[in-house]
Amino acid sequence: MRMFATIAKLLVKRVLTAIPILLVVSALLFCILRILPVDPAAMSLPPNATLEEIETMRSEMGLDRPLYEQYGIWLNQLLHGNIGRSIHFRQDVTSLIGNTLPATIELAVIAMMVATVFGLAGGLFLFYVRGTRLEAVTDFFSILLLSLPEFLWSLFLLLIFGVFFEVLPFTGRLSPGFERPVVTGFLLLDSLITGNIATFFNALQHMILPCLALGIALSPSLMRVLRSSLLDAYQDDYIHQARLRGLSEKRILVRHGLKNAILPTLSLMGVQFGFLFGGTLLVEIIYSYPGMGNLMVDAIRNADLPIIQGAGLTYCIAVLVISIIVDSLYLILNPKLRVR
Amino acid sequence: MASTERKALPLWLKSGRVQTGLVIILILGICAVFAPYLAPNDPNEQDLLAILIPPAWADGGDAMYPLGTDSLGRCVLSRLIFGARVALTVAFTASVGAMLIGAFFAHVAGYFGGWVDWVIGRVVEIWLSFPPVILSLILMVGLGTGLRNVVLAIILVDWTRFCRVLRSEVIVLRRRDYVSAAQLVGFSHWRTITREILPGTLPLLITLMSLEMGVAVIVEAILSFVGMSVGSETPAWGQMIADARQNIYEAPFNLIAPILAIFFAVFGFNILGDGLRRTLDTRLTQTERT
Repeated sequence: MRMFATIAKLLVKRVLTAIPILLVVSALLFCILRILPVDPAAMSLPPNATLEEIETMRSEMGLDRPLYEQYGIWLNQLLHGNIGRSIHFRQDVTSLIGNTLPATIELAVIAMMVATVFGLAGGLFLFYVRGTRLEAVTDFFSILLLSLPEFLWSLFLLLIFGVFFEVLPFTGRLSPGFERPVVTGFLLLDSLITGNIATFFNALQHMILPCLALGIALSPSLMRVLRSSLLDAYQDDYIHQARLRGLSEKRILVRHGLKNAILPTLSLMGVQFGFLFGGTLLVEIIYSYPGMGNLMVDAIRNADLPIIQGAGLTYCIAVLVISIIVDSLYLILNPKLRVR
Repeated sequence: MASTERKALPLWLKSGRVQTGLVIILILGICAVFAPYLAPNDPNEQDLLAILIPPAWADGGDAMYPLGTDSLGRCVLSRLIFGARVALTVAFTASVGAMLIGAFFAHVAGYFGGWVDWVIGRVVEIWLSFPPVILSLILMVGLGTGLRNVVLAIILVDWTRFCRVLRSEVIVLRRRDYVSAAQLVGFSHWRTITREILPGTLPLLITLMSLEMGVAVIVEAILSFVGMSVGSETPAWGQMIADARQNIYEAPFNLIAPILAIFFAVFGFNILGDGLRRTLDTRLTQTERT
């Protein structure tokens, strides 16, 4: 019970601090994009529009008012769930983001799972070879891995498995000819709900390369943190005491070592998961994956301000939500923080 | 004993990692500085009669283009060599800029504490609520393309990396007796920070800077990959990747070459940073040794 109360308190506090952050971020986004040398009014009209028509459009869009007033109008509409219409796609930004966000979340979540598996396994391995001759080799390799960011991994995996061996698909979310069920927008989930096994496996195949690229790129820093926190944990007396009690090394590792060492790794994972959302951007482009990253880059190329603002804000909300979730998890797992 | 030690190289230069990193950066530096003399061809010269030629050792290769040509018939090797200019310029200037801003705010926040620390802390928090790639892209939209703006965008995104890490280091150092002593003697705040605290944070600062150079190379490659970096008349590795991706089946090697170049550069900066961290950070070396 006490734990729930503490977590609830933390949640309230974090949500309350998130609100001013979001306000400032939205104001910054608004200002950065308003100093742009493009005229949204002229862009949303056909090229043969007269100057008067553009002027009317400007005042209709509120572009002739002072900046703070424009921001007020924009914020007011935002609170009513209306972030404007895309100039290029001629669609509501909310629906554009609603269509692409699930794809990005799906990608990020599975990539994080991959990163966790590789990170834990690698970290345990690095810890296991401590003090042996292998250590220098593994150390070298972990720096090597650290130097390959996710977009290089994506290209690399695409070349090997997509082009040279042609074993995995590497464009989009589904091969042509597969029926696409729409329930939640999460393709893997939807195909399972509707019992469409063929679609599920095809979608899964499309996820393998992008998720591997993201997961592998994230894992080396997890490995290194896990290793060093295990090293720290093993210096504490309770490990020594557990040995004296005659516990097996495996039990010491799982029950005493890992239980304490997992916390710093978890908080790093939280930070990375937030960044992963942005990191998917390039991977989405490379694999022509229809997520928020592709939407964002399209918007940037077309100077489509409403989308850039909306997507930017969505990314920011995602990072904040993730960090709140991770903090609560941290509280659940770390009894030291709970005791008052 | 003491005299032989003095003759030997400083500890950090003895590290194999630091040496490896420095050699890699030196090679890249030579490529960047002497690019016009090293490159076999003009990197922007198009030869539309010789597009997508494979590397010289493969079937159909041409000795004139040792690493082949791209989709416009431009020499891949020459573009690779000239690309080092953009990469290194961005790496050095952006990391110095981010370091200066980040270190300044970190020292001010950590040293004065109180509301100053609170304000700087909140600003950093706001910055960190953005994924870095997204923030730099949005900044590039606002600033417009060009080398100077790429550097500026990276500085504006990455100063928080320095600020966050250095601030906690400053807070630790601030509690040391010699800092209180300096204050008692009547050192001004500025002098206490620069003479007493800065020497203590310097090892961490140098290490962070070396890692930041690697980050800057990656960010520049990302930006030029999506066409939001330098103009198309300046060869950059990210652009080469974007171009090669269009012809991935016909000329896979065009894709591999810039990937390897980016990897080589980032690896150089990372291994240098790792070596510096191990040799300069006294606390770390103590725990690692035990």
